[in-house]
Amino acid sequence: MNDILLLEDLPEIRAWLKSLVMQVFPNARITECSRVQDALQQVQSLRFDLALCDLGLPDGSGTDVVAKLRDVQPDAQSVVVTIHDDDEHLFPALQAGAYGYILKEQSRELITEQLQRISQGEPPLSPSIARKVIKYFASQHQPQANAMPEVSLTDRESEVLLRVAKGFTLPEIGVQLGLSRHTIADYVKQIYRKLNVSSRAEAALEAQRLGLFRR
Amino acid sequence: MRRMPWRSRCSVWLLALACILGLLASPAGAAPASVMVLEQALVGAEQAGKPPDWTQASAVRLPDDWADRTASRSGVMWYRLSLPAAADGGLLGLYVERACSVLQVWLNGQLVHDGGHFLEPVSRNCHQPQLVTLPAELLREKDNLLELRVRGYALAEVSSRHRAGGLSVVAFGPYEQVAAQHARRSVWTTRLPEVLSGALLLMGSFMFVLGWFNRAQSYLAYFGALMVGWSLLLARLWASNLPVSNPVAELLLAALMAFIAMAAVQFLMRYASCRLRWLNLALPLQCLLMPATLLAAGGHRLHAAASIWYVLLALQMSAAVVFYLIQSHRQRSRQLWPMAALLGMVGLSLACEVIALTWPLDSRILHVAQLLPALGFLALGLRLVQQYGRAYQNVEQNRAELEVRIREATAQIERNFAQLSELKVEQVTERERKRIAADLHDDLGAKLLTIVHTSDSERISTLAREALEEMRLSVRGLTGKPVKLIDALGDWRAEVVSRLQQSGVQGEWSAPSDEEVPQTLSSRAYVQTTRILREAVSNIIKHSGASQCSVRCTIANGDFQLVVQDNGRGIPVELDGRLDKGHGMASMKGRAKQLQGQCLVESGPGYGTVIRLTLPLEQHTMGH
Repeated sequence: MNDILLLEDLPEIRAWLKSLVMQVFPNARITECSRVQDALQQVQSLRFDLALCDLGLPDGSGTDVVAKLRDVQPDAQSVVVTIHDDDEHLFPALQAGAYGYILKEQSRELITEQLQRISQGEPPLSPSIARKVIKYFASQHQPQANAMPEVSLTDRESEVLLRVAKGFTLPEIGVQLGLSRHTIADYVKQIYRKLNVSSRAEAALEAQRLGLFRR
Repeated sequence: MRRMPWRSRCSVWLLALACILGLLASPAGAAPASVMVLEQALVGAEQAGKPPDWTQASAVRLPDDWADRTASRSGVMWYRLSLPAAADGGLLGLYVERACSVLQVWLNGQLVHDGGHFLEPVSRNCHQPQLVTLPAELLREKDNLLELRVRGYALAEVSSRHRAGGLSVVAFGPYEQVAAQHARRSVWTTRLPEVLSGALLLMGSFMFVLGWFNRAQSYLAYFGALMVGWSLLLARLWASNLPVSNPVAELLLAALMAFIAMAAVQFLMRYASCRLRWLNLALPLQCLLMPATLLAAGGHRLHAAASIWYVLLALQMSAAVVFYLIQSHRQRSRQLWPMAALLGMVGLSLACEVIALTWPLDSRILHVAQLLPALGFLALGLRLVQQYGRAYQNVEQNRAELEVRIREATAQIERNFAQLSELKVEQVTERERKRIAADLHDDLGAKLLTIVHTSDSERISTLAREALEEMRLSVRGLTGKPVKLIDALGDWRAEVVSRLQQSGVQGEWSAPSDEEVPQTLSSRAYVQTTRILREAVSNIIKHSGASQCSVRCTIANGDFQLVVQDNGRGIPVELDGRLDKGHGMASMKGRAKQLQGQCLVESGPGYGTVIRLTLPLEQHTMGH
C-alpha cells in the first residue's frame, strides 16, 4: 500500500485519519482531497492502491469517486469512511465498487484493526447490508443471471450471506461451515465483487435500453 | 310488463269508439205503428198572455223551425193540433222531440204539462225531449184539441241554431211506447252528456292541477282546461235551469268557445314543444275580446257575431292542428297517428254539428257527434296521465340510479383522497426525514465526530461517540418503517456478539428460529430496544467485570422477552435502596415503560445481574 487517496472534507478528521493511515502504512504516499472534483482529477492522473472516501461531501458524493476509481484503476481498493451506517448510503457505494466501509466515530484501535483487515482482504459485512445484498440478487432477472453466470451467487456465498444476515460474525460462520477465516473472507470479497459487477451490468443494460428507447 | 305498441293500442281505442257508434246506430228505429206522428198545426203568437185568436191563426207543417222563418222574433207561440181518436182506452202520451226553449201543453183547455219557466230566466230545454201524459178523463170521444205553448228565441239572439226557437213533430200514442221513445232519446241527449260532463270535469281538474305544478308539462294544464271547458260546453245539453237570462247564457256559451279554443291551441302548441310568447298573450286577450264584441254587437246580432267568431276560432284550431301534425311528423313522434285520429274524429264531429245546422241530419248521428269528442278527450287524457306517470317513474328511477352512482363516486373520491393524502403524508414525512437526517449527519454528526477524535479526555470522546450513536438511532427511528423482528434479532446479535468479543467477554446468544418469528416491530420499539440492549451490554463491559454474558430472546403469549444475564459483580445498591443511576437503569426502565413493557433488574453481589425486558408484541407489530 504505497499510494493512498484520502477524501475527507473536515480538516480535523482528515488530519486524524491521515495520522491513523500513516500508522498502519508507514511508507505510504498520501494524497489528500476535500472535494469530489479534486479527487476525480487525482484519480485520472495518479495511481492508487487504496482510497479512503467519505460519502457526504460539499460538492457531491464519494460514491462517484469510488465508481471512477473502479473504472480507471480496477486493481485499486476503495474503502468508504463515513458516519452513515444505513444501507441507503452504504449500498450504492458498495455497488459502485467499494470494498468495505468503516464508521468514522469508532476508536482509533478499532479503525486501525479494520483498516488492516480490509487491506489484508477481510472486508466487513453487516447484517443489514447482507440482507440488502440478498434482496438485490433475489430481484435480479433470471435471463440476465443466465447470460452472466459469473455475477450470480454460489450456494456457499448465499449461505454466508444468510448467516451474516442472522447476526453471526464472520469467524462464527467459519466455525459453523468448517471453513478457515481466510476462505470466509474470500467469499465476502466475491460477494462484494459480484455485487459491483452485477450492478454495472445492470446499469449498462439500463443504459442500452434507454438508448434503444431514445433511438 | 310487456308494453303494447302504441299504434295497436290506439287502434283498440278506435275500435271501441266504432262499437259505440254501431250500438248507437242500431236501436231507436222507427216509431211503432200505433204511434201517430202529428205534423199539422195551427200557429199563432201569444197576445198579452192569452192564447192567440185561432180564427186568424195560420196553418204550419211541423217541425216548425223559427230560424227558417223570414221574420222570426223571440216570444211565445201557440200551436194547436187536433188529436186523432185513440185506438183503445189505454193511457196515452205525447212525445215531443224538440220544443225550444220551453213547452207547456194544454189538453182541451186544461194544462197537462209544464216544461219550466216562461219568464226570464227562461228554462232551456232545446236539447231535451219532452214526454207528456194525457190524462184519460180530459180526453173526449173525439175532437180533442191540443195546444202547445212554446217560448223560444229568434236565431239572431242565440249563438247556435240548435237553440233557436221551434217545435218538432209531435208523436201521439200509447204512453209506454212514447215513454220508451223518450227514454231512449234521453239517454243520448241528457244522461250521457251528464256523465261525460262529470267525468271531463273531474279529469280535467286533475290534469290541470298536475300541469299547473309541473311547468315543464304545461300542456297537461291546457289539456285539463280544454276538458273542463268541454265539460261546461256539454252542460248546455242537460242544464235546463240556469240562474241567468237567455242573452247572458248565450253570451257565456259563445265566450266559452274562445276559452276552449285557447286551451286547445295552447295544448297543441305546447304538446309539440313550442312556446310562443305572443300566443300566450294573444289567446287570453281573445278570450276577453270575444265576449266584448258580442256584447257590443247586441243581443239581436248575437248569432251573426258568434258565427264569425266561430269561423275565426275554427281557423285558429285548424292551424294549430296542422302545426302540431307537421311538428310531430318532423319529430317522428309516435303520437302522430293516434293524435291525428283523435283530432280527425273531433274535426268530423264538429263538421257534423255544422252540417246539422243547415241540412237535417239523423239526430242519432248528431248525438254521437256531440259525445265523441268528449270520449276522445277522456281517452287522450288517460293516455297523457299514463305518459306522465311513466315519465315520473323513469325520473324517479333515474334519480335513484344517479343517487347510487353519486354515492359510489363520493365513496371513490373519498377513498382516493384518503389514499392520496396518506401517500402525500408518507412522501412529505420521507422527505422531511431525509432532510433532518442529512442535517443531523452533516452538522451535528460532523461536530460530534470532531469531538470524538480531537478530545483529550477519553470520557468526553466516549460520550460524544455515544451521542453520535444515539443520533443515528434517532434518525433511524424517524423512518417509521416497521422492522421485521427476525431482522432486528440479526442486527442485535451482530452488535452484541462483536462488542462482547472485542471486550473479551464470552457471549452466548439464543433466539427463536426464523419460522417462529413472523412478527414485526415498530421502528420506535426497534430503536428503544436497541438502546436498552446497548446500554445493558455497555454496563456489562464497563462495570460488571463479568467474564460471561448470555442473551436469551423468547416469544411467549404475545410478549417478546429479552433476558441479559452476566456473572459479574452486580450493581451496587444506593443508600436510598435504588439501583445505581449511573448504570442507566432508570432510562432503561423508562424506555420499556414507553413501549408499554417493563424492564426488571435483579442484581446481587456475587450473583451477577439479570435484566429482563418484556414487551407486548401486538402493540408494536403495526408500523405506527
